[in-house]
Amino acid sequence: MVVEKKKKTINRLKSMYPLRAKVNETYLKSVEAIQAGKPAVWGMLNFYYGDPILKAMDIEVVYPENYGAIAAAVGVAQQYLDRADAEGFPTHLCGYSLTTLGYATRMMKELKGQIPPEAPFGGMPKPLFLMSSAAICDARYKWFQALGRYMDVPVWPLEAPLPGIKEFFIEGYYDQMVKLGVKHLRDFVAFVEGMVGKKMDWDKLDKTANLMIEVNRIWHEVNELRKARPCPMHSRDFWSAMPAALFLAGDLEDSLRLYQDMYKEVKDRVNRHVGTIPDEKYRLVFAELPPWHSLGFFDKLAERGWNFVIESVGYHPPIPMDLSKVSDPLERITKFSLQFLVGYYEDAQKQNVLGGTTAYPYLKYATEWKCDGALLHPLISCRSASTHLPYVSDMLMEKLKVPSLSIEGDIVDLRLFNPEDALAKAEPFEETMEYYRRMRKEEGFDW
Amino acid sequence: MTKVVLMDKSSNLLSTIKGPTGPEHRQLANEVMRQALEQASLQIDDMSYIVATGYGRLNVPFADRQITELSCHARGVSSLFPNVRTAIDIGGQDAKCMKIANGRLISFVMNDKCAAGTGRFLEVTAATLGIRLEDMGDISLKATQKIQISNLCTIFAQQEVVALLSRGEKLENILAGLHDALANRVAALARRLGIEPDLVLTGGVAKNTGMVRAMKESLGCEMLVPEEPLLTGALGAAILAKETYVKAVAAGETLPTKSRRLEKATFFS
Amino acid sequence: MSEENKGLSKAQAIYLNRSQRARELKAAGKKIIGYPCVYVPLEMLTALDLVPYQTCGDIKEPVTEADRALPHSFCPIMRNCLDCALKNKNDFLDGMVTIHSSDPQEKTARVWESYTNYPYFHFIDMPITVRPEALEYFKSQLNDFRKTLEAFTGKKLSADKLEAAIKSHNRQRTLVRELYELTKPSPPLISGTEMVQVLKALTSLPVVEGNALLTETISEVKNRTAGHEKKSARLLIWSSTLDDTDIMQVFEAKANVVMNESCGGIRAYRSGVEFTADPLEGLANYYLNEITCARTFRQATLGETRKDYARDLQSRFGYLKGIIKEWKINGAIMLLVRYCDPFAFEMPSLKDYFDSLGAPSTYIEYDYTTGALAPLRTRVEAFLETISQ
Repeated sequence: MVVEKKKKTINRLKSMYPLRAKVNETYLKSVEAIQAGKPAVWGMLNFYYGDPILKAMDIEVVYPENYGAIAAAVGVAQQYLDRADAEGFPTHLCGYSLTTLGYATRMMKELKGQIPPEAPFGGMPKPLFLMSSAAICDARYKWFQALGRYMDVPVWPLEAPLPGIKEFFIEGYYDQMVKLGVKHLRDFVAFVEGMVGKKMDWDKLDKTANLMIEVNRIWHEVNELRKARPCPMHSRDFWSAMPAALFLAGDLEDSLRLYQDMYKEVKDRVNRHVGTIPDEKYRLVFAELPPWHSLGFFDKLAERGWNFVIESVGYHPPIPMDLSKVSDPLERITKFSLQFLVGYYEDAQKQNVLGGTTAYPYLKYATEWKCDGALLHPLISCRSASTHLPYVSDMLMEKLKVPSLSIEGDIVDLRLFNPEDALAKAEPFEETMEYYRRMRKEEGFDW
Repeated sequence: MTKVVLMDKSSNLLSTIKGPTGPEHRQLANEVMRQALEQASLQIDDMSYIVATGYGRLNVPFADRQITELSCHARGVSSLFPNVRTAIDIGGQDAKCMKIANGRLISFVMNDKCAAGTGRFLEVTAATLGIRLEDMGDISLKATQKIQISNLCTIFAQQEVVALLSRGEKLENILAGLHDALANRVAALARRLGIEPDLVLTGGVAKNTGMVRAMKESLGCEMLVPEEPLLTGALGAAILAKETYVKAVAAGETLPTKSRRLEKATFFS
Repeated sequence: MSEENKGLSKAQAIYLNRSQRARELKAAGKKIIGYPCVYVPLEMLTALDLVPYQTCGDIKEPVTEADRALPHSFCPIMRNCLDCALKNKNDFLDGMVTIHSSDPQEKTARVWESYTNYPYFHFIDMPITVRPEALEYFKSQLNDFRKTLEAFTGKKLSADKLEAAIKSHNRQRTLVRELYELTKPSPPLISGTEMVQVLKALTSLPVVEGNALLTETISEVKNRTAGHEKKSARLLIWSSTLDDTDIMQVFEAKANVVMNESCGGIRAYRSGVEFTADPLEGLANYYLNEITCARTFRQATLGETRKDYARDLQSRFGYLKGIIKEWKINGAIMLLVRYCDPFAFEMPSLKDYFDSLGAPSTYIEYDYTTGALAPLRTRVEAFLETISQ
């Protein structure tokens, strides 16, 4: 009997694979590091702020947020969630935090510091210290503090200012943000030096900062190419390829080459008018965090002609800015990190879109990437990735006549996402998208 | 359900009654009390001290004192199983786990916000399957295969059950899966307290042999079940009433009591 | 009803009709500025003769309007507050000051600004640590707040106006602490329910009027001949918010709540603003350092290389030790508002701390609706039964 291998509808970029592989390496490297007596740290996604410091000091980092997604996708999260529940952590809390707290309970209380044998990807070793971040949500800095109950390791929470859009334009505001960022980072360097017993190599930091900025600049350009019709690169490739840019996974010089390769491959597709799916009927924007455990769902949608052309503003690189005249690497890093947020502020202020920093970019995405609809994915235990979605939906409709479809799920409780239900909603939503396409035409929009 | 237990100073049970509760708590309390007195050949004036417990405890006009069902269950279960340390009560509308030491409640956790962790979960799914609640347990024991019910919510679980049936899954396997789902939820609740033997299971669900099996598996230890799992709360209330009264008499105190009249209570009085 | 409402009866009347005084003042030409969180430095409003008004929620109000902008799994208190705003219950406000104390505060602030049309709106950002550069940043935030206030009122916020305001607000904090001294006796002279009414009333009045109310109340309570019923349990409630008498009464049916460590209780009044050369520095220092809300990251070993869990707990929760001792507290309830992340993460560590002090404690969750009252009652009573032996 011949078993026909079904060809996947989404034509993945070849250059994506080596970039994707970088995540797996980070876990292996951290375990090896600890075994070799070298430092390894648990970190929180910090948007280009703390990561370059650790990179420059050759400290391996793993990200429990990322590990939570892996544990969920592989199907082992439940045992850790159960432990966190038994420890007294309320169940409404972020699924990633509960997974980590459960993991810490297992590793530290039950196994006295040994990595759990059942942990996927080799597990996460007991770290030298914990680097958390105030960016995005409260849970992210409180959870690492709660880990102190299980691990005798210091916590450094990285500050992350969050201005209001109007307030940002008060004279001197930005300078104060930079001042905070630079001083804070300087103190963080001193802390890390103390922890690892080694001084910072400032030349190396300078180089690392530049590499990080350049890597993200190329990555930004790659995504600009996706404005083409048909779109040459699917969201799935974005999510797979982003770790090297977002949290500097792997060797930066290597990553730079790989993103340059990706740029070439995508540019080539643009020149040949090749889309990532055979028949692009609808162009979609996705917000916010993808269902990591059910990405095959997008293939089903691709079969219907749904091309996901842009996504997840939280993961996108900062809008490039000229930092060539900034000599202090700490200042360069600070400004680049702040740019992730405030890069959009001027436009947002002009358009009077005040409802949150993560909301305005979706207007820009829908307009410039010419989207017919938005697929919104609210997650029951991740409020920060979900709260802005009703506003995004409102705003896209009000200003651009772009409709949204909302499909619920959760970051670790996979039972809450029902792909069949979701697919059942696809057909009626297609009719909606077509209707609003006509409306936009009548109102003079160019897509 | 509304239950009454009458006992004498030597802890002999004089009567026990269980009746279905409706919206009119007060009227029912009177009615069930009347039946209990009849069974014991007593008058309401013969009652020395009365303790009410459970959701409707504030609606028993002739009760001298209200004590939560958590303390009452703890007391009742310890009188039946002196070595109990953890008690789990799965009722129709809530689930409670109690830590007990020396016959007294020392800590507890409760779920009364989500039907999926209570007896209601089985009631709803039994109705969906068209079988009697009383038969669910025995049928589930015939299971030959493990099925995982993936839906968190009682309503969605119903849909899932229908889908499983139409897929050709065997009824006994589905039932076992449903029992496992409920047991896992209750076990997670219990683990917040820490499980220590002896472990006792009470509440209507304890009469379900399938649930007893599922709970044992989920918790990984033996479970004891009383003969009358629905009465442990009322039993405990009676014991606490007796202890309160006996203590007061020994100290020469008079306890404040309510009027010993079984009136026809109206809903709004 | 008495002709001249004073002290406790006045507090109760205000509790039942919170916006009355603000509306009167507005009609008389004053500007009223709303704020949803105790981290907003009210002194800066008072100094410019603006009347601060806390935009609290109402557990009796079913949330309907907020659904279009905020999901269900979200802080029920902020949802409720926004709902009241969208239903125009705060139509007498001339502006709002919001602050980045927590995620729900920040997210609701954006929505609030987008969906309403006040003449004045300002968002203050807050750092999460109490490090020197964080304090410096927060001070600069207050300075920016000063700028928009000056633009709005057309008046300068001078150092001496600010100092005078700080003095009045400090006086209020001192008076509230004086009032809390009166829960120390056994039985307490003032109940937890009465305290909620008084403190809620303060959030509806200009500071000077609030101080007068407190002075009357303290005198009235001190002179009470008939105290409250003595109950065996003297409780500490630790929460993000406990500002409603229906909820408080669930606890007080069978216990004396002698300390409410929450917003709605003593949290905003525990200590005072220091006078500094630049008053903004004293303000920044007080609000960031002294308010004991779980949102601020405190640790014993700030960036040091060793970590000691016991010392860490002491630095985060040590202020409760004195409270437990002085108020002779024999039971502590960690009352979690559902979906509150900062407080939820604290609870197991706080429980460890209470255990180390030998103070019986429990956690109870509620969702700021009237439906929460019955389950709350069962859990509270069961806890009281466990500690009454």
